[in-house]
Amino acid sequence: MEFEDSSKHIVDKPMALELRGVSKTFYSDAGAEVQALQGVDLLIRHGELVTLVGATGCGKTTLLNLIAGLDRPDDGYLHLGEDLNFGDNIAYVFQHYTLFPWRSVLRNVTFGLQMRGVTRSERKNRALELLSKVGLSNFRDAYPHELSGGMRQRAAIAQALAINPKMLLMDEPFGALDDTTRRELQQVLTELWQEQNTTILFVTHNIDEAIVLGGKVVVFSERPGKVIHEFEIDLPRPRNRLTSQFTDLFMQIRKTLSGQLD
Amino acid sequence: MSKEELRNKNASYRSKLLGWTILPVTLLLIWQVAAKYLNQPWIFPPVTSVIEQLAHPFRQHYASGSLLSNTLISLLRVLLGFSLAAVAGVTLGIVMGSIRIIRSALEPIVEILRPLCPIAWLPFAIAIFKLKTLPQLFGIKYSRTIFDQIQLGMIFVIFVGGFFPVLTNTLDGVTGVRRNYLLLAKTLGATRRQTFLHVYLPAAMPMILTGLRQGIGLCWFVIIAAEMMTGSESGIGYLLIYASDNSAMDIVIAAMLIIGSIGALLSFAMRRMMCSAVRWHGKEV
Repeated sequence: MEFEDSSKHIVDKPMALELRGVSKTFYSDAGAEVQALQGVDLLIRHGELVTLVGATGCGKTTLLNLIAGLDRPDDGYLHLGEDLNFGDNIAYVFQHYTLFPWRSVLRNVTFGLQMRGVTRSERKNRALELLSKVGLSNFRDAYPHELSGGMRQRAAIAQALAINPKMLLMDEPFGALDDTTRRELQQVLTELWQEQNTTILFVTHNIDEAIVLGGKVVVFSERPGKVIHEFEIDLPRPRNRLTSQFTDLFMQIRKTLSGQLD
Repeated sequence: MSKEELRNKNASYRSKLLGWTILPVTLLLIWQVAAKYLNQPWIFPPVTSVIEQLAHPFRQHYASGSLLSNTLISLLRVLLGFSLAAVAGVTLGIVMGSIRIIRSALEPIVEILRPLCPIAWLPFAIAIFKLKTLPQLFGIKYSRTIFDQIQLGMIFVIFVGGFFPVLTNTLDGVTGVRRNYLLLAKTLGATRRQTFLHVYLPAAMPMILTGLRQGIGLCWFVIIAAEMMTGSESGIGYLLIYASDNSAMDIVIAAMLIIGSIGALLSFAMRRMMCSAVRWHGKEV
């Protein structure tokens, strides 16, 4: 089965997120200045799945934290679409510690709904539905430490989707998984995205992953992080890694990334 | 099970058997023979007379009550004082741990009072509370129950003994909460109050329970010492010093055995609670 890539038709969709000239500097405990982001420009439209690829430590996490409202930019302009609100419909999936270890899988998924005062039976129904979508129905009563890495990230995705987010921020969520599991989860995420119409900003350092998932791949420079290039990915889904378009794109992005190393 | 595992299991079984039966029985035998040989029971009583005392927990010892009644008084004092300390310590620990301003404001006082031996508070507590008992606090002069033996001064000292271990461990637990869990709760829409209840409290629970275990152990130490001080007139610590003054070394040793066993029981109960309450501890992923 081939899905038509939805990013083609997205250009006229309303803006979900706009960053212009966003900069952020940290000060280490020793007082040293670390510029994490410098003049980041980025535009994401509603329903887009954008992947952001760059070397580890290039300020990608900082960028996500700014978008999630967990931190503020020093300079520049960060604008969220009208219906997006911090702590309401922007969900976040981390690579590590992304589930509460003291809660079972089911109670992890219901956390967001519980905070919103949704009734017990309603939140359970919603959670069970999501758990079956991510293939974890049989593990609802397990605790995070009893799950494999892949299962944990499935649970984390269900936990994030439970609040019906308009935007999903993902910080290298599959970074610690083996290749097979990683590919399975890429497929799960793609299907959920096509079904839920959520805007997703997915950060990775894996070029292959960026192309497999992204309707648009944003290439980030080394610290201080800024956008060096954007690639529109027009390949049909599910994406075949063995086509020449795929490998061509891979090489282009590889070159863009290493180009600024020289 | 492999051969080696089987061997290890047998070895651990043998050492347990040794630790729980053979070694204690040998020691008791040596004790008995030595005590008989020495024949000075007011200094070194034989095992049999200590066992005889333990077998009669209701026997009244002059005006000081029985082994059992004094043990119950001590236990009740500890449980009351410790409960107060647990509630106060956990609450303040969470507040101090999560609100920086309150923490820096209170830290100096805590750091000065914490190293102070709880027994040092006893004269002050008795001066403040006189010998007021718990029923008297509610306007009842004599309730004719065990509660007439629960002096507020004692409760206060127990409270001080339990409060600081609970507070400092809770504080460590709360400040050690992974930032990710807080961010996660925030993005999932938790309010400040919900974050206290659903993130700080469960995340700090292993440390809180460690604090409670240390706290109740310390309280049990403190009550024995406090009851041995002048001014006390009941409790297992009091019975111990009273029996000593009357050269009843068999009662002294019986009291020691009871104190040790109860301490071990309290610790064991807390450990059991800990294991079942925080199965996830040390397995964060």
